[in-house]
Amino acid sequence: MSVPLPVDQTLDSASVVRVAAELEATWRDRPGFWGWVTSVDHKSIGKRYIITAFLMFLAGGIEAAIMRTQLAVPENTLLGPDKYNQLFTTHGTTMMFLFAVPMMTAMGIYFVPLMIGARNVAFPRLNAFGYWTYFVGVVFLYISLFVNTAPDVGWFAYVPLSGPAFSPGHRVDVWAQLVTFTEISALCVAVNIIVTVFKCRTPGMSLNRLPIFVWAQLVVAFMVVFAMPAVAAGSTLMLATDRAVNMHWFNPAEGGDALLWQHIFWFFGHPEVYIIFLPAIGMVTPIIETFCRRPVIGYTALVMANVATAFFAFGLWVHHMFATPIPELGQSLFTAASMVIAVPTGVQIFCWIATIWAGRARFAVPMFFVLGFIFTFVNGGITGVMLASVAFDKQVHDTFFVVAHLHYVLIGGGLMPLFAGFYYWFPKVTGRMLNERLGKWHFWLFLVGVQMTFFPMHELGLNGMPRRVYTYLAPTGWGTLNFIATIGAYTIGLGVLVFIVNAVLSARTGEVAGENPWDASGLEWATPSPAPPYNFVFPIIVNSVHPLWETNVEHTVVTGLRTDRREILVTTATDALSESRHVAPDPSIWPLYLAGCMALLFIGSIFSPYFVLVAIGFSVIGLLGWALQSTKKIEPELVQLPTGATAEGA
Amino acid sequence: MRPVRPVADASALPSVTYGSRSLMWWGTLGFIVIEGWTTALLVASYLYLRQNYDSWPPLRTPNPSLLIPTINLVLMALSIIPAELSSRAGKRLDKRGVQVWLLVFSIICVAILVLRWWELWAIGVRWDTNAYGSAAWTIVGFHASLLLLDVMDTIGLTLFFWFRRLPIKTFSDVSDNSFYWYFTIGVWLPVYLIVYVGPHVF
Repeated sequence: MSVPLPVDQTLDSASVVRVAAELEATWRDRPGFWGWVTSVDHKSIGKRYIITAFLMFLAGGIEAAIMRTQLAVPENTLLGPDKYNQLFTTHGTTMMFLFAVPMMTAMGIYFVPLMIGARNVAFPRLNAFGYWTYFVGVVFLYISLFVNTAPDVGWFAYVPLSGPAFSPGHRVDVWAQLVTFTEISALCVAVNIIVTVFKCRTPGMSLNRLPIFVWAQLVVAFMVVFAMPAVAAGSTLMLATDRAVNMHWFNPAEGGDALLWQHIFWFFGHPEVYIIFLPAIGMVTPIIETFCRRPVIGYTALVMANVATAFFAFGLWVHHMFATPIPELGQSLFTAASMVIAVPTGVQIFCWIATIWAGRARFAVPMFFVLGFIFTFVNGGITGVMLASVAFDKQVHDTFFVVAHLHYVLIGGGLMPLFAGFYYWFPKVTGRMLNERLGKWHFWLFLVGVQMTFFPMHELGLNGMPRRVYTYLAPTGWGTLNFIATIGAYTIGLGVLVFIVNAVLSARTGEVAGENPWDASGLEWATPSPAPPYNFVFPIIVNSVHPLWETNVEHTVVTGLRTDRREILVTTATDALSESRHVAPDPSIWPLYLAGCMALLFIGSIFSPYFVLVAIGFSVIGLLGWALQSTKKIEPELVQLPTGATAEGA
Repeated sequence: MRPVRPVADASALPSVTYGSRSLMWWGTLGFIVIEGWTTALLVASYLYLRQNYDSWPPLRTPNPSLLIPTINLVLMALSIIPAELSSRAGKRLDKRGVQVWLLVFSIICVAILVLRWWELWAIGVRWDTNAYGSAAWTIVGFHASLLLLDVMDTIGLTLFFWFRRLPIKTFSDVSDNSFYWYFTIGVWLPVYLIVYVGPHVF
């Protein structure tokens, strides 16, 4: 344990260096491969989430490029209908379940503890378990694709097509269980983020001083908690059991109901869009603040808009079902709700425009992507309001108009801010800056590519081209617009390639970033780049939303946490007053082991229900190992306690 | 990094906390919300399927038996006593009290789990007979998985307290274990009323 430090006088740098060295020894991962698989550091886990999810983005992108090549000219023979079905399903499933949601939550795992001045997330082993479970899902889907068993029923797997009668074999089982892996992973992250934000904030960071990015992650974590159980119930407890043990949830012949699936799926599926979008716009605010050199205008309005969007997001799902027999009153209600959600989004956009207007904007690459986001996303939002109208929706239902809309929203609202975030936080993760010139090439290729690919699809949809067809006839006249869209898709690919080259080169030879290269205001910039394993030598006491823009020349900090074990400071949920010390776990193999048990459970159950029992048996060993590990190093062995001792004082 | 000035010392703060001051309590609450919400969605789906039938349970399907489910319900209500007493003993750091009440709690837990097997068959139809059977089996089965989880946790804690020397923090885990158990029992009451009593009433 450290030597006690003096209070209320500036520490000499030797003391700081000594404490940092002690923390380094306690918090660092073990070396080598074993250290890698047992790491519970949120930065290691976050980084591997981000890299895996980015690889999934590339895989989904390659699938899209192959599909666009197939559709470039009428009656093309590059792909047959079966391969095309597998590709569009894998593309949608990959992008939604294996790229977008994990990537957005991964950004939270990496940056939330840094932004709130914490040393790790609240439950580090749960965090690692979440990653490994997600990784199992990734491997599972891509093995299935290469052995011709990839799902082929679309990313929302409508019954009865996905039921046992119309989809024999294991393709849909792969989809149903893959979804299970990503649900578990997302729920682990959500609980972690919620508890981390409520209980692990640095002293002084009351909820009204929470960075907007953290607010967005918190709101999204709550959305995940209420959205993911719907698809968990639908895919694991209903669809998979209908297929594996002859249940009848969706079998009308025995009183089941196919529309129940649509309700359950879209009750998850619509909030999913906002689960992707809200973290992304959480990235926009700090970037605008930093590059406009002023606090955002309308902090409270932005937070309220986030919360309002989350609530409204759960009241819209039926607008995906306007082509089913929904009562007229229901249609009107969901039309109104679908339009109302544009209001909080509009509030946010006006806050950002006002901030850019009132500040002194500096147009570096992150700002380019922010402006690209506003332009593209507003276009996607407008077609969303159009689709909220039942009459219009029925006209373009299942056409390329919908494909255009959803890509404008997700690429504009998700990917553009994400790339902005990559350029902005890359120095914090790697210690080096991304190249600006290559960044601008990336931006323009990407922006032009997106418009070229997806704008013509509006027209194709209005002309009646259905989505999910592997080819079309020349007399339809759809050839030219499809060809333009395909060239656009290649342009997007080129832009992404430029980004990859930039990232690889810059990580090795980029300009060294330093602690705070953008002169930004958030706590993540108050520690070296990349952050050390313990994040901060001492918990920094904050007095505002922008601690690094305050004029004081020194950080006021809390001392007294032990350095010989992984101790973190727990604070009160609303005001962030120091409350207790908590001992975080050491590196552990049990998260990986238990994720393996999950793989056995869910993949095995496709083939035989007995795998469930086997997996439970193996899990017991894992749970015991987990529990026993957590009792080490926490407190001295229990000794005979004096009568009347209270636990609080222990 | 800017110079640092310590203004507060955390070394006197407690390292063992209970209830909403403990991180584990918050984590448990998170999973309670997730599992409670999943149960609610399953019940909503059950009631959605109800609309497809004129009578409930469907024609030629017997009503569920109430005997075993009601016995189990009583047992669940009784289990609250050792759960609460073990939690209170934990807060007093009373090791002997925790050992005894966890043992009693574990025995009742196992009995509840065994009865759950018969409770599934008390539904009166198999899961693959019709959608009614599928829905009822899924809900009761899902709740069984929640029971299993907490029973494993309770037995694990009992074994630890009897056979290992433990850190003080484990006393707080006893209280979180009981907290989760109250949820498991609490969420069962509406399920019991809807799945077992409901078909007799509607």
